[in-house]
Amino acid sequence: MRTRNLSILFVSLFVIAGAVFSAGARAEGEVPAPPAIGSTIDDFTLPDVDNKDRSLKSLAGKNGTVLIFIAVQCPVSNAYNERMAKLADDYNAKGIAVVGINSNVAEDATAVKAHAAEHKLSFPILKDPGNKIADRFGASVTPEAYFIDANNKLLYHGRIDNSRNAAQIESNDLRNALDAALAGKAIEKTEAKAFGCSIKRA
Amino acid sequence: MRFTKLLIPVALCILLVGLTVPAQRKKGYAKKPAPPLPVVSAIDTEALKGLITQQRGRPLLVNFWATFCDPCRDEFPDLVKIDEDYRPHSLDFVTVSLDDIDQIKTDVPKFLNEMNATMPAYLLNVSDPEPAINFVDRRWQGDLPATYLYDEKGELVYKHIGRVNVAELRSAIEKAVKKTD
Repeated sequence: MRTRNLSILFVSLFVIAGAVFSAGARAEGEVPAPPAIGSTIDDFTLPDVDNKDRSLKSLAGKNGTVLIFIAVQCPVSNAYNERMAKLADDYNAKGIAVVGINSNVAEDATAVKAHAAEHKLSFPILKDPGNKIADRFGASVTPEAYFIDANNKLLYHGRIDNSRNAAQIESNDLRNALDAALAGKAIEKTEAKAFGCSIKRA
Repeated sequence: MRFTKLLIPVALCILLVGLTVPAQRKKGYAKKPAPPLPVVSAIDTEALKGLITQQRGRPLLVNFWATFCDPCRDEFPDLVKIDEDYRPHSLDFVTVSLDDIDQIKTDVPKFLNEMNATMPAYLLNVSDPEPAINFVDRRWQGDLPATYLYDEKGELVYKHIGRVNVAELRSAIEKAVKKTD
């Protein structure tokens, strides 16, 4: 009788452990689906590179916010450093804030801060421990951009432009989306696949 | 006496051979040129489409990768082994790098060489990778590595985004090559 009870206990423990593991595990390479264009993005708070908590609400521009998932070591993300810095300068003046998010597990706040200083990325950059926000946004790669309007509605998701080589830009997708929104027009292309380095998730 | 007479020329011969063979070996080694780096061919979206849709009557494995992608580098030895094991069983395997075109004669072939990779190697040379990514797989975001297996009729039979699960990939290849064996 005692042995039977023990067996039941062990089996139950295995079942519970299995359920917990399968619920928490994510197949390698599988990224949660991104929110649909037009959906509302809930506010979130992440630490900045000085470990101070910053909320999306506190960083948002009066005409919206661009969130860009970026990296320290990814050569594709790094090819966009100058373009991202210029984007922030150009659109801050138009009431759109640019915020960087680093979700790579191996790149700590100190490395992110040093990288931003070296490449003159003057916009705020947040660290995303445990890639919770990358998961919430379904972000796969760096760089990958999201444009949220003043009412927290997602209007654009995807690449900054078509080429990592600045001399080969033919389609300035993110800027086109921002310009259309600022002009009160419909955004022609609301999604464009971002190409870059996979976000190194925890 | 007769034995001593024979011994001297034999000893001289051994000495001569002993002196010349290492010298020849050394000379040969010094002259041997460094093996050339693997050739990586640039392809555009249309050429990639042709590569994938071409009727070959053999299964085709395509691995999209880049030198900047850690999981791509990690899985490469497994892929080289798969190529060695299944090429004799009618599997065609090509790799497509999404590195910058500037790396087509440097980092990309250098890495392939380090891996002893001898499968046909391509580099996607496009200003906009989106049409190529969408052609391969509308659901693929372009994150690397990405591996696609087509059967002998060109039908997609297996895909994996992220580092491959070797056992899973081998099992899919086994099924695909069995149909053609």
